[in-house]
Amino acid sequence: MLLKHKLALAFTLFLGSILTVNANELSVASWGGSYQHAQSTALFQPAAAAMGITVNEETYGGMSDVKLKVNAGATVWDIVASGSGGCAAAAAEGILEELDYSIIDVSDFYPGLYMDHCVGGDVFSTVMAYNTETYGDNGPQNWADFWDVEKFPGKRAYRAKVDGALEPAIMADGVPIDQVYEVLNSVEGIERALNKIRELKPHIAVFWTSGAQHAQLMKDGEVDMTTGWNGRFDVAKKDGAKVRYSFDQALLDYDGYAIPKGAANKDLAMQFLNEISKPQYQAEFVKYITYGPTNKKAYDLGTIDDALSRALPSHPDNVKLQVPVSIEWYSKWKPIAAEMYAEMLTE
Amino acid sequence: MTAIVVNEINIKSLRQQETKERLVMIGLTIPYLLIVILLIIVPIGWLFGTSFVDQDGSFTFKHYVRLVESKAYYRIFITTFEISIFTTLICILIGYPLTYFISQLPRRFANLCMIAVLIPFWTSLLVRTYAWLVLLQRKGLLNNFGIELGLLSEPLPLMHNMTGTLIGMVHIMLPFLILPLYANMRAIDTDYLKAASSMGANQLRAFWTIFFPLSVPGLLAGSLIVFVICLGFYVTPAVLGGGKVIMVSMKIQSNIELFFSWGAASALGVVLLVMTIAILYIASKFVSLDQMSSRG
Amino acid sequence: MVSHSEIKEQALRISIQGVTKTYGDFFALNNVSLDIEAGEFLTLLGPSGSGKTTLLMVLAGFIRPNQGQVFFGSEDIVLKPPHLRGVGMVFQNYALFPHMSVEQNVAYPLKLRRKTKDEISQGVQEALDTVKLAGLGNRKIGQLSGGQRQRVALARAIVFKPKVLLMDEPLSALDKKLREEMQIELRRLHDNLAITTVYVTHDQKEALTMSDRIAVINHGILNQLGLPQEIYSNPTNAFIADFIGESTLLPVEVRDSTPRFGESIISVNHDVGSDGSYVLVVRPEKLLLVTDESTAPNRFPCTVEESIFQGESQLLIVRLDTMKSGDKEPYRLNVRIANTSANSAVIPQVGDSICVALEKVDSFIVKQE
Repeated sequence: MLLKHKLALAFTLFLGSILTVNANELSVASWGGSYQHAQSTALFQPAAAAMGITVNEETYGGMSDVKLKVNAGATVWDIVASGSGGCAAAAAEGILEELDYSIIDVSDFYPGLYMDHCVGGDVFSTVMAYNTETYGDNGPQNWADFWDVEKFPGKRAYRAKVDGALEPAIMADGVPIDQVYEVLNSVEGIERALNKIRELKPHIAVFWTSGAQHAQLMKDGEVDMTTGWNGRFDVAKKDGAKVRYSFDQALLDYDGYAIPKGAANKDLAMQFLNEISKPQYQAEFVKYITYGPTNKKAYDLGTIDDALSRALPSHPDNVKLQVPVSIEWYSKWKPIAAEMYAEMLTE
Repeated sequence: MTAIVVNEINIKSLRQQETKERLVMIGLTIPYLLIVILLIIVPIGWLFGTSFVDQDGSFTFKHYVRLVESKAYYRIFITTFEISIFTTLICILIGYPLTYFISQLPRRFANLCMIAVLIPFWTSLLVRTYAWLVLLQRKGLLNNFGIELGLLSEPLPLMHNMTGTLIGMVHIMLPFLILPLYANMRAIDTDYLKAASSMGANQLRAFWTIFFPLSVPGLLAGSLIVFVICLGFYVTPAVLGGGKVIMVSMKIQSNIELFFSWGAASALGVVLLVMTIAILYIASKFVSLDQMSSRG
Repeated sequence: MVSHSEIKEQALRISIQGVTKTYGDFFALNNVSLDIEAGEFLTLLGPSGSGKTTLLMVLAGFIRPNQGQVFFGSEDIVLKPPHLRGVGMVFQNYALFPHMSVEQNVAYPLKLRRKTKDEISQGVQEALDTVKLAGLGNRKIGQLSGGQRQRVALARAIVFKPKVLLMDEPLSALDKKLREEMQIELRRLHDNLAITTVYVTHDQKEALTMSDRIAVINHGILNQLGLPQEIYSNPTNAFIADFIGESTLLPVEVRDSTPRFGESIISVNHDVGSDGSYVLVVRPEKLLLVTDESTAPNRFPCTVEESIFQGESQLLIVRLDTMKSGDKEPYRLNVRIANTSANSAVIPQVGDSICVALEKVDSFIVKQE
């Protein structure tokens, strides 16, 4: 046993010598693509400069990566960016540090855009996007149209994971936006949504796994219609993609930041989260990707013009068209729904 | 009597010397053994262990029960074997004639050809797979070309399906077939074919009765390598399969996300490992495994 | 058993006419013409790279000449593919099919000829009997010794009763003793089958032992064609004289139609051609030990430098006392004396001054190359 401990200690020291970061360095993991580009340019690097620290950025595969690292006692990231659902699930798994809101100032945040273990960073929508070259101005307008392969023939892409995948199907099946989670609140409801997806499956050319991928699919014209995250499509459009989307029946959600359990620089990470939650950073962020601020004050700076403001998922006109994603539903049903969804994919 | 004493002393020191030499030889294997233990035995043991551990840390068979009960796993294994078999068959159909051609070239040209065969090895797997994406997609080079030339009226579904997966996998696996096969074919004395033809066999006859049977060991070895590597393939089906072609390795990855723990993924990994070992074991009854690595 | 003459009639006459094969600037064969009689055992003899194997491959059909004709009987077969030529061939490395048993190897040509099962097994048995391998039919090739492989290769080459048998240095992989046995055996086999045989070797002794006639080839050119004795006793040039048998070449000058070594006149057994530089071909076994008073014509006073015991004979290396003006090194000759009891008294010691002589009948000169 003694030897074992000695070995373990030696190993830890060895790892530590490689991994222990300087007190002035933070390691941040996010999703990559145009999203992380926006985060890096508008949030991470300016905030690091303001605090006089260094931020090392990485991309990662989601909270499952965090869990594996935390459980192995080898937490390498100080901050991870994640969707609200992922954050909630991870918090339930006990792999996140509780955030100290005496350090992170959320007094000007919209209500509901922060949790014990996760502070909101931006508001985004899961929307339906279509190719304007294929469908012209009379493109599909809602999920029923997305499912209507006669009126709108063409290839579809759909998410390979259950997150944000059942709600469109159940709406396409005629459920109004205010009853989505009510209907989905049972195995039968989930099965109903899955059956709707089975119906469309022959027309789904690709099940996408990342935001970068669904943006690329639209840019390449590989598919004519897809679900996806609104900001990515705006960036793709700027790059010349023939893509349009609407917030009608979209799923309103937010991304946040969390600190994995055992992060080496937890205190510095808290301060950093406070810094990037300040309005001036959030106002800058929307210029790079159309995800709305979580801090109300971001609008008061006057740098977000009216046109841009209307393009954001969090604009009141847009909010009322959408279904707010239910964290409660995800924490209750996700494990079951995810397995059922994965099984449906293999059919 | 003196002579016998001297002899006894020699026996002892000769034996000591022999033992010393043997120890040195064993010593040579130590770095490798350490690597095997650290990087193969220990992780596999751990993998095996975790496949019986429940989320809360208790012992469970549930990960294996799930594999048996869920139709999804059955389908995934079928898909995995289908893809591996088809990839192997296509590799044989394309690789055998090509390798035969190269093996009949003068050595200098043959070496150039083999370098060309090996060049893809120097490029990242991911890069090569994405290159196929550019070529095969709906508005990709191939489809655009076909439509412009009037060969196609509408784009062919070349990727995000089984076809694309097979194209990408065949491209990547082909060298694994060609290398052992080439070594085997090169070692076939051209005099065998001359002898056959001097005895009255035309080229086709000489090929089928002499060359082909002699190339079978290389062909089997190459096919086995291709098949076994295919079983565990991840990147190419993930990129070119469009999320609809799901192989075991991809399911292992998604199980980690799905269940937030190693157990479910480990169980799947263990089953794949056992199947692969079983296949290698059965194959070793037919192919000598040295052939798989030998170059001559 | 079929009689000799009968088979000889079936055997084919081969006629090679003006065959040239080049590789770039290199002439592998340079206008070679050669007639091989039906049932003859002809050896193509030459050093490696001389073109002998190329010529054999032209006969087999594996090498296409640039020009020339090859007749099997009256048919020009230059354009015929190898598998239609019906020649039996034994390769240097035997080229036995490793994935087949002895029997299957020997049966292969018969199967190609769509013989019935009985015909095949009978043919295989006969062929294996002929090469003394009866009973080894089920062996794998890998289980055979070198000599056995050689026999299987031979059985396979003759089993379909070809009219021409080609052999490419078939004995070169065997050790000396076995090789010498096989030389005799091959020759005997040829006499029994009386099949037109073309045999390639670089071993002059083998050629002398086995052949009806020998064709000496060098640099792609047919140098000399003749009986073994002719080739040995009357080589037409210095290359052949040097290549065939053991010999020492002494430079001689021909002036006024008289050959001279230094100032000594050399008597030769043939007419001397034009004046110029020639070499005297001295075979070690033809040199005689003579006394100073001897009247033998071509005498060379000399000193014994080395004396080597070689079993059946004693080899002396002697230094000639005569030196021509301008020579830096003295000339040396090899002298072979049979180790008979009669000779034991006369064998000189190292350092002895002796005199060796060459009878006129054993003396011939060839033009210096």
